[in-house]
Amino acid sequence: MTDSKIDRRTVLKVAGATLGAAAFARAVSPVVAWASELSGEAFLQKHYKELAPDEMRTVLARLEAETKEKYGAEVKIRDVRPTDGVQFGYALNLSTCIGCRRCAEACHVENNHDRRTHNSYIRVLEMQQGSFDLEHGTTTYDHVVPAPGKFYMPVQCQQCDNPPCVHVCPVEATWKEKDGIVVVDYDWCIGCRYCEAACPYHARRFNWDAPEIPAEEINPVQAYLSNRIRPQGVMEKCTFCLHRTREGLLPACLEACPTGARVFGNLLDPNSEIRWVLENKRVFVLKEELGTRPRFFYFFDV
Amino acid sequence: MLTRLPRWLFTLLLIAHVALLSACERAQSDVVDWRATVARQRAADSAEPSSHAAPAAPLHAVTIHEPASLTSIATELRDANDASVGIGCQTCHSLDDIIRGPQTDAADAGGPHAGLVFLHGDNTCASCHDPVDPTRLHLAAGEVVPMSEAMRLCAQCHGPQFRDYTRGSHGGMRGHWDLTRGPRQRNHCIDCHDAHAPAYPHFRPMPPPNDRFPPATPHEAAPAEEHP
Amino acid sequence: MENAERSIHWTSYPRFLLRALWLATDGGWGFYAWMTVLTAIALVGANAWATQVATGMVVTGMSDHVSWGLYIANFTFIVGLAAGGVMMVIPAYLYKNHDMHDVVIVGELLAVAALVMALLFVVADLGRPDHFWHLLPGIGRFNWPISMLTWDVAVLNGYLAINLHICGYLLYMRFLGRKPDPRWYVPFVLVSIVWAISVHTVTAFLYSGLGGRPFWNSALLAPRFLASAFVTGPAFIVLTLQLVQRVTSFRVPEGPINTLLGIMRITVLVNLFMVMAEVFTEFYTGGSHMSAATYLYFGLHGRHALVPWVWTALAFNVLGAIVLLTPGLAKRRPLLNVALAMIFVGIWIEKGMGLIIPGFIPSTLHELVEYVPSLTEWKVTAGVWALGLMIYTVALKVALPVLTGEHSSASLSPPPASAQPSAPAEAA
Repeated sequence: MTDSKIDRRTVLKVAGATLGAAAFARAVSPVVAWASELSGEAFLQKHYKELAPDEMRTVLARLEAETKEKYGAEVKIRDVRPTDGVQFGYALNLSTCIGCRRCAEACHVENNHDRRTHNSYIRVLEMQQGSFDLEHGTTTYDHVVPAPGKFYMPVQCQQCDNPPCVHVCPVEATWKEKDGIVVVDYDWCIGCRYCEAACPYHARRFNWDAPEIPAEEINPVQAYLSNRIRPQGVMEKCTFCLHRTREGLLPACLEACPTGARVFGNLLDPNSEIRWVLENKRVFVLKEELGTRPRFFYFFDV
Repeated sequence: MLTRLPRWLFTLLLIAHVALLSACERAQSDVVDWRATVARQRAADSAEPSSHAAPAAPLHAVTIHEPASLTSIATELRDANDASVGIGCQTCHSLDDIIRGPQTDAADAGGPHAGLVFLHGDNTCASCHDPVDPTRLHLAAGEVVPMSEAMRLCAQCHGPQFRDYTRGSHGGMRGHWDLTRGPRQRNHCIDCHDAHAPAYPHFRPMPPPNDRFPPATPHEAAPAEEHP
Repeated sequence: MENAERSIHWTSYPRFLLRALWLATDGGWGFYAWMTVLTAIALVGANAWATQVATGMVVTGMSDHVSWGLYIANFTFIVGLAAGGVMMVIPAYLYKNHDMHDVVIVGELLAVAALVMALLFVVADLGRPDHFWHLLPGIGRFNWPISMLTWDVAVLNGYLAINLHICGYLLYMRFLGRKPDPRWYVPFVLVSIVWAISVHTVTAFLYSGLGGRPFWNSALLAPRFLASAFVTGPAFIVLTLQLVQRVTSFRVPEGPINTLLGIMRITVLVNLFMVMAEVFTEFYTGGSHMSAATYLYFGLHGRHALVPWVWTALAFNVLGAIVLLTPGLAKRRPLLNVALAMIFVGIWIEKGMGLIIPGFIPSTLHELVEYVPSLTEWKVTAGVWALGLMIYTVALKVALPVLTGEHSSASLSPPPASAQPSAPAEAA
C-alpha cells in the first residue's frame, strides 16, 4: 500500500467527510422542508415603505391566496393609509373600568389572534386601592368584578411618541406612522425580539408558532399592517385597529367596553372627545419618567 | 488642540459627527409633535375666543338607543312570541294614594311589583314619577316630561356623569369616532343603569390570559401607611 | 519585481490555507475521537435548530414575559470570551512582552472561534433566519446608528475580519519564512485592542440603554461586562495553553501563563467588586426596582429557580479567586486548573442566567414568569459550543505547525502533498 497514490488515510478522511455531510443534510432536513414552502417572492419581498402601489397589490393578492390555502378563509387585505390632519389618542377611565376583560376579548376576535393561547394585545391589571405599584397588580384574577378594594387598569401598546421599540429594531421593521400608530411590517421582521425587550409596557407579542384560527372565526376585514394573520416567528402589537380607525370607525376594544371607560379620537380636532378628556380630566401616563411620551392616557373621574 | 489634527482626520470626524446627528434627527422627525399643534390651537382660541369652528363636512347622526323598558314594568309572563309581557303603570293605578317610603335594602318590592328591586338612594316613587300619571316623569321643578325624556331627569341629579356622557367619556359608543365619515350609536342611561336600582351590576369577567407559563400570584399589598 | 511577487500571493495564500486545512485533518486517535464527538454534538444541535425554525420558537422555554433566554445568555458570554483575547494582545504588542508575542495567536484564534459562535447564537435566536438579509446594509435596511444591535453586528463582524487578517497574515509570513511587514499588521493589532473593548461595550449597551428594564439600566453594566470578559478570556487561554503543551509539540514558556494569571488576579477581584456594588445598590435602595435582584438571590412570590445558580456562581468565583490569590495554592497546577474552570463556569452562570434572565423577571408589568430552557435550547447551545470548539481546534492545528516551522514553504515536499505513510505524528 505504501506506493499507492491515494492512501488509506485519505480514503478514510473522504469517507468520513461524506458521511458527515450526509448526516448534516439529514440533521437540517426540517429547515429544508420549511424553506421549500416559502415562495421566492415572499423571500425577496421589499420593505413596506419601498413597495410601489402595484407591487403592494401583488403582495396583498399573494397574502390573500396564502390565507385561503392555509386557513380556508376568503379574506380581503387592504393597505389602509393614514389620513392627514389626524393624530390618534386614547384615554381610559380608571373610575369606570370594571375589569370585565371584554376589551381583551374583542381584541382577540378582531385581530385574528391564535385561539390556543387566546392571545390579546390587552392585559387587564387588577390593582390594589390605595396603591399604584404594579408590583401589587395581577392579571390572572378570575372572580366577579369589580372586586371590593380593587381598581382595574387595562394596558396595551401606548403608541409612544418616543418609542424605544422603534429605536432598537435593527432592520426598521417597526416604525411610527404619520398618524401616530407604531406599526410592524410582519414580512420584514427578523424575529430578534429586541423590541420586546425594549418595550416598557409589555405591549409586543411574538408569534412563537403559527397562529391557529378556525376559518369561520377569522375576521375577513384585514389590513397589511394590522390584523392580517401573522406568520410564525415575527413580532406583532396593538395597532389601534388601524384597519377600522383609519376608516373613521372606533377600535374594537372601545366598542366592546360596556361601561364606556374608553375614549378615542383625533388629538388635533379641538372638538373631539379625547381632547375634552385631556383638557378636563386629570390625565396621566404610565412610566412617564422613561420619556416614552405615550399616546395612551389614564384618568380618574374624581 | 483640535486644529493640530491632520486635516483629513479633522474633516473625517466632522463628517462623521454631522452624519450621526442627522441620523438621530431622522429618527426623531418621523414623530409628529401634536402637542405643538394643540398649543397653537389653544393659543389661537384664547386670543379670539369663539365657539370652535364648525367642521367643514356635515356630521353624521349620533343616535341614542331607546330601550324598550321605559314605559312598563316587565313581568314573568311571556307572550306568543316568547317576548316578555309588560304592564303599563296606569293599568293598575295612579300614585295619588300610594306613597311608598324609600327602601334601605334591595328587597323585592313585592305584591304587583314583584320582581322590582328599588334601591336608588333616598328617592321615593314620587321623586321621579308624576303622581297623577306615573307613566310620565317630572323634573325637579315640577315640569312633567314623557318617559322618552327620562335622560333629562337623570342629568338633573347626576350632572357630572351626564356631562361626561355628552362629551363621550361615559357610557360607551359604537360606530365612528369620525362623524364626518359615519354615524355613531350611544346607549341610553337606562341601558346600563336600571332606574330603580341603578348601581352598575357586577360581571363575571372574560377568562384570564392563557399564558403558556402563568405568572406567580403576588402577595396582598400591605395596608397603606398612615400619613401624618 | 515586487508586482510579480504580489501577484503570486493572490494564489499562494489561498493555497497555503487549503493545504494547512488539509494537513489539519491529520492526527492521532485522540484527535479523531475529539472531532467525532464534537461533530456528533454539532449535528444534534443543527437538527434541533432546524426543528425550531420549522416548528417555531414554541419549542423553546421562552415566552412573551422572558423573551430572551439561553441563546442570548450564551451570546453575551461568548462575546466576552472573544474580547478577553485582547488580554494577550496588550502585553505582547504594547508592552513588548516577547514571550507572549509567540503565543498571542492562541488568543486571537480564540477570538475568531468565539465570534463565529456569537454570530451563530444570534442566528439561532432569530424567529425568521430567512429574513437575515434584511440586516445587510445597502440591500436590507440597517438601522444604524440608532439601533445598538446594528452596532453589535458591525463590530462583531469587523473584529472577526481584523483577527482573521492578523492571524492569516502572520501565519502566512511565517510559512514563507519571511519577516512580516509591520505596516500590514501593527495598525490592525492596535485597532483590534480598542475594537475588542468596544465589542463588549456595545454588547453591554444593548441592555443598559433600555429604560424599561431597570435591572439592566445601570451605568455599571458595561464595566461589569468587560471585567468578567477579562477574567474568562485569560482563564480559558491558560487552560488551552496547558492542553496544547500536552497534546502537541508546541512549547509554551511559563512567562505568558504567569502574565495571564497575574492579569486575572486583578480582574477577578474587580469583577467581584462590581457584583458587590450592584448588589448593594439594589438592596440598599429597596423599592420595586429591587424585585429582580430579590428574585435572583432569594426568590420572590414562591419562585426561586435561579437562586441555586447564582449562589453557586458566586461561590465558584470567590473560591477561584482565593486559589488564584494564595501563592501556596496557586502554584499547585491541578488545583489552579480546577479554580480556573470554576471561575469560567461561575462567570458563565453569572453573566448568562444571572444577568440576562433576571432582566425579564419581573416583567415590565411586574409579572413574575420564570424561564427554564427547553431540551431544544440545550441541544442548540451544545451544538454551537461544539462547532466553536471544532473551529478553534482546526484553527490551532493550522497555526501551531506553522509557528513551530513544521509546516513551512521550505519544508514542503514536491506534490502530491499527502501525509507520510509512517506512523502518524501526534497532532502537531
